[in-house]
Amino acid sequence: MNSTGNDIVSLNAIDITRTKQYRFYSKILSTTEKELYRNAKFTAIPFENFVWLLWSIKESAFKYLQRIRPDLIFSPTKFVVKQLHLLSDPIITNFEAKQTEGIGFDGKDSINGMIAFGAYILYSKSLIYNELIVSVVNCDENFENTAWGIKLIDKSDPHCQSMEVRTLLVNKLNSLFSADNISIGKNSNGVPTVMKENKTLPISVSLSHHDRLVAYSFQLAEGRSCDATSIKNLNRGIQIESKR
Amino acid sequence: MTRIEILNELKKVFAPYTTNKEMLESINDQTDLIKDLKINSANLVDIIIDAEAKYNIEIDYDSADKIINVGTCIDVIVEKLNQNA
Repeated sequence: MNSTGNDIVSLNAIDITRTKQYRFYSKILSTTEKELYRNAKFTAIPFENFVWLLWSIKESAFKYLQRIRPDLIFSPTKFVVKQLHLLSDPIITNFEAKQTEGIGFDGKDSINGMIAFGAYILYSKSLIYNELIVSVVNCDENFENTAWGIKLIDKSDPHCQSMEVRTLLVNKLNSLFSADNISIGKNSNGVPTVMKENKTLPISVSLSHHDRLVAYSFQLAEGRSCDATSIKNLNRGIQIESKR
Repeated sequence: MTRIEILNELKKVFAPYTTNKEMLESINDQTDLIKDLKINSANLVDIIIDAEAKYNIEIDYDSADKIINVGTCIDVIVEKLNQNA
C-alpha cells in the first residue's frame, strides 16, 4: 500500500534542559539508539537535537504505518532507528527561506535512516537546519517520487497551523496536477486524504506542524514501485476522474 | 484521591501545552489530548513527565501507550497511585 509519513520539530520550541534529562529522553530513545549516538560520533548534532531527530523519524514512521494499521498507537521506543547516515562533517545552516519544497532529496545534505517497527522496515530522510528538523518516511530507500515542503508561518495557534499546511499542500498539488479544486479531507481514522470533487484521489499525504513551522509530504507513485511515469499516470488518473 | 480531583489537577498539567483554554475548562473522560485539546504530540512526553513528578509515580512504556484521552490518563495515574499505596 502506498503511504507516507512526515514530522517537523521547531528547535526554538523545545526545552533543551528537559530533553537532556534521562527521565525525558529515555521515553523516546531505545538503548541501542543511545549507543547509536555515542558510536556514530554525531559531533555536529548536539544530543538534544539528536533526541528530536529520532523523535521526528519515529513519528513519521508511525504516521506512515497508521494509514495501513489504523489501530496503531504511537509508542516511541518501539520504533527503533537501526541505521543513521549523515555526511561526516555536515554544515548546519539557518532556514533562510520562509518556504522550501522539493521532490526527492538530491542535492540535499539529508540524514538517511532505517527504522524497524516489528516486522516492518522503513526508510527516512531528514533535514536539519538551526531552527528545525524535518523527516519523511517511505517504504523504500528511493525517495525520488517523494514530495515535501516546509513553511515558516506567522502564528502558532492550531487553527492557523492547520490552515497554512493545507494551503501549502493544496497549492503544490494544484500546480503539479494542473488542477484548481483539490482539497484535503480526513478519513474516518483521522488520516489526511486528497479530495477532488468529493472523490478521494490515490495520493497519500502527511501533514505536520510545530510552533511556527508546518510541513507536508506526499508520495507520487503507487505501491513500492517508484517509477518516472508515476506523475504522468497520476495526472492521467486525475483527468479521468474529472471527466466522469 | 477521586477521579474528579485528578481531572481538575490535570487541567493544570495540560495548561502549558494547549491554547484551547475553553475546551480545557470543560474536559471529560472522552476528551482526546491531540484531537480535542490540540496538544502537539511532541508535548505528550512532557505531560507524562509532569504527571510523574506531580504524583510521584513512574509511568512505564506500556502505561504511556494507553494515554490517549483524559479518561485513560486518569486510569493510568490511579493505577500507579494504587501500586504505590
